[in-house]
Amino acid sequence: MNKHQGFMALVIKGLMWIYSLITFSILIYMIYNSFRTRQDILSNTFGMPEKLNLNNFKKLFVNDHFYRYFLNSTVILVISLILITLLSSMTAYGIGRYKFKFRKFTRIYFLIGLMFPVQLGIVPIFLLMKSLNLIDSHASVILILSAGISMPVFMLTDFFANLPNEIYEAAIIDGAGEWKTFYKIMFPMAKPIVFSICIIMSVQVWNQFFMPLIFLQSEAYKTIPLIIVKYTKNLLSTMDLAMAASVLSTVPILIIFVIFSERILEGVATGGVKG
Amino acid sequence: MLSFFKKRPYLLFIAPGFILYTILVIYPIAAAAVISLYRWNGIGPKTFVGFNNYIELFNNKDMVSQLWNALSHSLMIFILTVIFVIPVQIIMAYMIYSKVRGKSFFQVAIFSPQFISTPVIIFIFTLLLDANIGVVNKFLESIGQGHLTKPWLGIPEFGMYIVWIMISWAGMGVGMMFFVGAMKMVPVDCLESAYLDGAGFWKRLITIFLPQIKVTILNMVLISYIFGMTIFDFSYLLGGTSGGIERNVDVMSLFFYRMAFGDTNPLGGNISQNSMGMGTTIACVLFLMIFIIALIQLLIVYRKEE
Repeated sequence: MNKHQGFMALVIKGLMWIYSLITFSILIYMIYNSFRTRQDILSNTFGMPEKLNLNNFKKLFVNDHFYRYFLNSTVILVISLILITLLSSMTAYGIGRYKFKFRKFTRIYFLIGLMFPVQLGIVPIFLLMKSLNLIDSHASVILILSAGISMPVFMLTDFFANLPNEIYEAAIIDGAGEWKTFYKIMFPMAKPIVFSICIIMSVQVWNQFFMPLIFLQSEAYKTIPLIIVKYTKNLLSTMDLAMAASVLSTVPILIIFVIFSERILEGVATGGVKG
Repeated sequence: MLSFFKKRPYLLFIAPGFILYTILVIYPIAAAAVISLYRWNGIGPKTFVGFNNYIELFNNKDMVSQLWNALSHSLMIFILTVIFVIPVQIIMAYMIYSKVRGKSFFQVAIFSPQFISTPVIIFIFTLLLDANIGVVNKFLESIGQGHLTKPWLGIPEFGMYIVWIMISWAGMGVGMMFFVGAMKMVPVDCLESAYLDGAGFWKRLITIFLPQIKVTILNMVLISYIFGMTIFDFSYLLGGTSGGIERNVDVMSLFFYRMAFGDTNPLGGNISQNSMGMGTTIACVLFLMIFIIALIQLLIVYRKEE
């Protein structure tokens, strides 16, 4: 059925090759330059490098404590993901499983968040966080990112609503309480959807720039995207470090992505249909 | 008390998410709407001025020109995306759906820029496009087109196009995978009958797939619109708070940010006497523009479904 695609398909395939090659060249360009000295990049850009070495990475870890920012980003990511998963699956289960008066309204209420990103309300959020004394702490960023559960709730509500009633009834007859039914039986069944939610959200959280920019001001709390900006700001004097930091923030994630690519892409594809 | 919740178990399930979501997503929007009616710089005295901030935003000459400039750039991102990126995403998705040779490779390669954070993207593109050490100019020279070399980032007119190229490069894969997912939902017998009727490879895309994935396409258009209206990182990192040379990469969110938090640094610098009032006014105008379009979209989609 998929044969005889014609000339057009060849052109598209060619374009896809070019696209992929550009992406690879950019990555290789970045990795290659991260092993070069600053003088070498600047004055001998296209010549053969004098020598390749690990000095840039050494400087990042020894002088600038790069692992600290890695840790900061990881803490924010892990806690946010746990909160998002927990809150959104419970909420979605409540809306999808039970019939009650304001059910439709509640569904729409949680959809509103899809229509405007949090940054529009940043002024009141900032004032709120200030009064809670949470400025310059990871808690503020984690709470704000975890509150954006519109998309996960939307995806999971349909799933829970479409589960056959018999499963729920059987569990209740077996003597499981509401809560136990949820986390022992219902939640495990939602695993594939939870997985795709985690993928989509983790990209958002890991690369989040706006919230950390506003709420994390002291050096010790900053996340990887913020620290990269610190190096790229004075490009001529810290270009080598910017290169190494870029590589460190990109390559590990890409390796994880390539290893799990099949599951991740599958998850994104199914997530997109619902969202 | 206990029996109240026993009868309504859903309340306990919904409550935690509901509370956090209400405080940090819904309340700020309502609060912003209230603040926009005041003249306030965030610290000093608050004076109620009614709709004066809105009137000022649309009448003050400098404000109107900044608003119009930022809005046109935001809309430009949206329109370019709808005209060029979404069709390419659909066609690429169709190739992947049709199991083109090297399918897994293409998926991974096209999706992977998604994992690169914005500062890194900006940094790499700045280097690639640099006038002296940039690869792009070097490439043009090496193929004998030396007269085309330019200081790409120094030319204001190119600013938004460069932003758009970076966004498209990074975001291509997500939309593509969404379309692949939607295409997988198209019933197979539908396709087989079209195939037996003699519909070719591309004709099937137009006659079968496009109508079937219409809702996904509409959703992607809406997402692109919201994205264009709220894009911040790229412009901020490329042009700073002031929005670049002659505000050439200024967008709506950055305009809002500059008004609310001042022109130089986050939470410092020259904040005007009415920073919070005017900032929230812009946020509310932006919100209304998104809300109206989203509502129209919802009406269209729901009508289709019924």
